[in-house]
Amino acid sequence: MFARYNRSHTPQTVTQIRKYILTLVMFALVSGTRSLPAQAQGTPHPLPLAGGAVQPAPPPKPLPAFYRNLIVLDPAHGGRDNGAQLSNSSVEKDVTLAFAQRLRPALIAQGFTVVTTRDSDPSDELTTDQRAGTANHVRPLACIVIHAAATGSGVHIVSSPLQPVDTKTYGRALAWNKAQASVVAMSLRLANEAGLTLEAAHLPVLMIRASVPPVDNLTCPAIAVELAPLKQSSSKETLATDPGYQQRVAAAIAEGVASFRTHNAPPPQATQGAGARPGAAQ
Amino acid sequence: MIPRYQRILFWSLVGCILLMGAFMLRGCREAHRRLTALNDVNPIAAPTTAAKEEVALYIASDADATIRSVRSEVALPQDPSLRARTLLEQLLAQYSQPDSAHRLQSGPSVDDVFFVTDTSRANAGKVILVNLRGSFADNHPSGIEVEQLTLASIIGTLHAAFPEFTEVRFLVDGQPRPTLSGHASLDQSYPLADTTIRPPIPSEAATQP
Repeated sequence: MFARYNRSHTPQTVTQIRKYILTLVMFALVSGTRSLPAQAQGTPHPLPLAGGAVQPAPPPKPLPAFYRNLIVLDPAHGGRDNGAQLSNSSVEKDVTLAFAQRLRPALIAQGFTVVTTRDSDPSDELTTDQRAGTANHVRPLACIVIHAAATGSGVHIVSSPLQPVDTKTYGRALAWNKAQASVVAMSLRLANEAGLTLEAAHLPVLMIRASVPPVDNLTCPAIAVELAPLKQSSSKETLATDPGYQQRVAAAIAEGVASFRTHNAPPPQATQGAGARPGAAQ
Repeated sequence: MIPRYQRILFWSLVGCILLMGAFMLRGCREAHRRLTALNDVNPIAAPTTAAKEEVALYIASDADATIRSVRSEVALPQDPSLRARTLLEQLLAQYSQPDSAHRLQSGPSVDDVFFVTDTSRANAGKVILVNLRGSFADNHPSGIEVEQLTLASIIGTLHAAFPEFTEVRFLVDGQPRPTLSGHASLDQSYPLADTTIRPPIPSEAATQP
């Protein structure tokens, strides 16, 4: 009897279940499609409450801020790219790496976390676009590109020559070769802070604006630091390879970056009630 | 007493040496004559007597990263392309002087200069295309400051001589190149403007947002 009942009713039951599932799927699809445009545009849409009242949705997520204690160091060149020939025995790629290894502990001592684009001399060098991508991905407070030269005198602090743009009017998408334009005002302040501390350390400093890859591609406040020989008199000259000179410059720049953080990205509790400051930090 | 056959052998060898020397000398002279015959001595343009005129050269200084305008008298041809090339050669030749404040290696620097009007744009950009020689770029001192000063010096001088043009682009041996000598970007167009530079001095006032 039971077996006969199952044989006679099973196909009908299965069909009913299928219809029921199909109806549910259709309903879910229709309701999901109706709510999609509002979500895709990021506009606030009303959410139903338990009592039938309607509450406005929270505002869209703001632009991601930067990490106020994170610094990216980019020792330029490396691998097959030697950079400038600074003396008979030293090339730029080695000096930039040595200087980065001095600047790193100086920044850590100021409470920063430091990420470097290279810690050794790799066989295949990173392209400047790859370096910019690494830096942009971690959203640091500042990026410092390190160079060295055999010409000029003292320390050259280089910032982008791009004109500042307002991201509100320009939109969130920036051209790759003009990505720095949105933060160039902060980069100039960073360069100024580094210049002040270098002057305080009695080191000659020159503030230059130049288009140097990858500075224009960075979305964080960025400067390039170029170590040039230190000319104390017409005959005496300290080369950029000198460890003592590098240490003095590293200490001064670390102090300058810390001062930049104090002025431009105060700790979160300090911003409470003070309104939004440029570079509201995480 | 030296045997006769040894004396004959000795003088035969000396004769061979002299013959070979004469043969080599003749070969060298022939090769030299063939190489000099390859040099194109035909004149490119008709010789003209260009009058000297006063132009503004934007001269760079590495010591303080400045560029200042200097008036100079230069004989320039009338053809705009040749005129721009001569002007730039004149400017860059200044930097090969021993007392130059922005020392560059001597030698030819500019291959060609082209004037292009880009009609595809709304405001018809007038562009100067400077084709630098590869030897100039390869031997240029490497560094951000020194490379940027060279570019700014060229840009300022071109702007003073051709104020109707708005942009300048650089090629090296007819090809785009990412940087001049590893630092200053060459893969973008630069606006032609007065590039007289005096670097700013760091100030406490500029630290506040």
